[in-house]
Parts: sequence; structure tokens; C-alpha cells
Amino acid sequence: MIAPEFFYSALIVMIGAFMALLRVFFGPSVPDRVVGVDTLNTLVVAGMILLGAAYDRTIYIDIAIVYALLSYIGTLAIARYLQGGLE
Amino acid sequence: MRSDMGLIVKTTARATIPLIGIFGAYVVSHGHLTPGGGFQGGATIAGAGILFLIAFGFGEMKKRYNHHLYSVLEGFGGLVFLGAAMLGLGVAFFYNALWHEGPILNGQPGTLLSAGYLPIMNLAVGLKVFTGLISALFAIAAYRRWRE
Repeated sequence: MIAPEFFYSALIVMIGAFMALLRVFFGPSVPDRVVGVDTLNTLVVAGMILLGAAYDRTIYIDIAIVYALLSYIGTLAIARYLQGGLE
Repeated sequence: MRSDMGLIVKTTARATIPLIGIFGAYVVSHGHLTPGGGFQGGATIAGAGILFLIAFGFGEMKKRYNHHLYSVLEGFGGLVFLGAAMLGLGVAFFYNALWHEGPILNGQPGTLLSAGYLPIMNLAVGLKVFTGLISALFAIAAYRRWRE
């Protein structure tokens, strides 16, 4: 069963992701781009969940959980680098 | 400069590291049923180690990291993979003897204890990837030529 409303909401999330991508492209400073990438990660997780619901596959949720956990680590690593690196 | 990050990040890491580790173990052990498997689960568990290194700093990691143990475990993972591949050597290399007439791991397809040697190989690859990535990351973090 393929539900079309999940595709529409995934499309809306995709539009938001493109707007976050604009901040990554045109961000004047590095922290702007980092915040843009962090927003993009969250929106990608939302899109994965919605597409998993649209295609009616529960196993796609696993990938979204892994991506959410690892994107947190990536953002933390960039923040660590910007605050002065490891020791 | 501080060697670790702030209190919020450290507390969050204390809560998140077991979560990432358990989820990585889930991905490894269900490699024959769900997306993922040895490499993906091992890399996820290595993400927990990277989070530890980032949140608590290099000194704390150095106290808990044992180079010999990780090196031995990486070799052990490769040997278990080869040993599982040689189980059915009477027929052919990589012959899935556990699935055809083995005593264990030959349950109904779709259950956890099925698929013959695949779960053993997933566990071996997961162990190898986890220890290898942690060793590589630790070596990169310990490499400090810029200070001299």
C-alpha cells in the first residue's frame, strides 16, 4: 500500500532541505554553514521516516536512526574543531 | 585549552554512547534480516568510540584504549571469518555447511538463528571493523607533528 500523502509531506521536507542547502552554499561564515548542515541532517532524517512510511517498509526506520545518531557525532566533531581542536 | 568538552556534551555522551553501541550491535546481529550487517554495524559502534574521543578528550581515551587488545581482536575477527568460511571445506570453500546440515543456526528463514554461517561472519566483520576504525582514529588523534 502506497500512501500519497506521505509523498507530499516528503516533498515539503525536501523544499525545506533545499532552503537549508542555500544557507550552506551562501553562508558567509563557517558556523552558518555548520548550522545549515545540521538542519539538513535533521530534515534528511524526517524525509527518511516519511519515505519509509510512504513505501510501507518498517526496516527503513533503522537507517534513519543510524543517520540521526551519526549526524550528531559529525556536528559535534566540527564544533570540536571550531573551538580549537583536540587538546 | 580544555581537553574535554562541556558538561552538557559529556552528559549527553554518557547517555548516547550505550545507545549507539546497542544499536550497532543490533545492526550487526540482524545483518541477515534487516539492512546493514557487519561493516555498517561495526562503523556505527566505532561512531560511539569517536563520540567518546570527542566528548571526553584524548587523555581519557588513552587510559581506556589498549593497543594490543584491539590489534589482537582485529586479527581474531579476520580469523573467525576465515574459520566460518572453512567449515564446509569437505565440499567447497565458503560452503554453508551450518545451514545444510549444521547443528545450530539452521532455523526457519527469517528468524534470528538462521542463515548458517552468515551471523558468525557478520559478528566477525563487525568486530574487525570496529577495532580497526577505533585503532585508526586513535592513531590519527595521537599523531601530533604540529607541536614538535
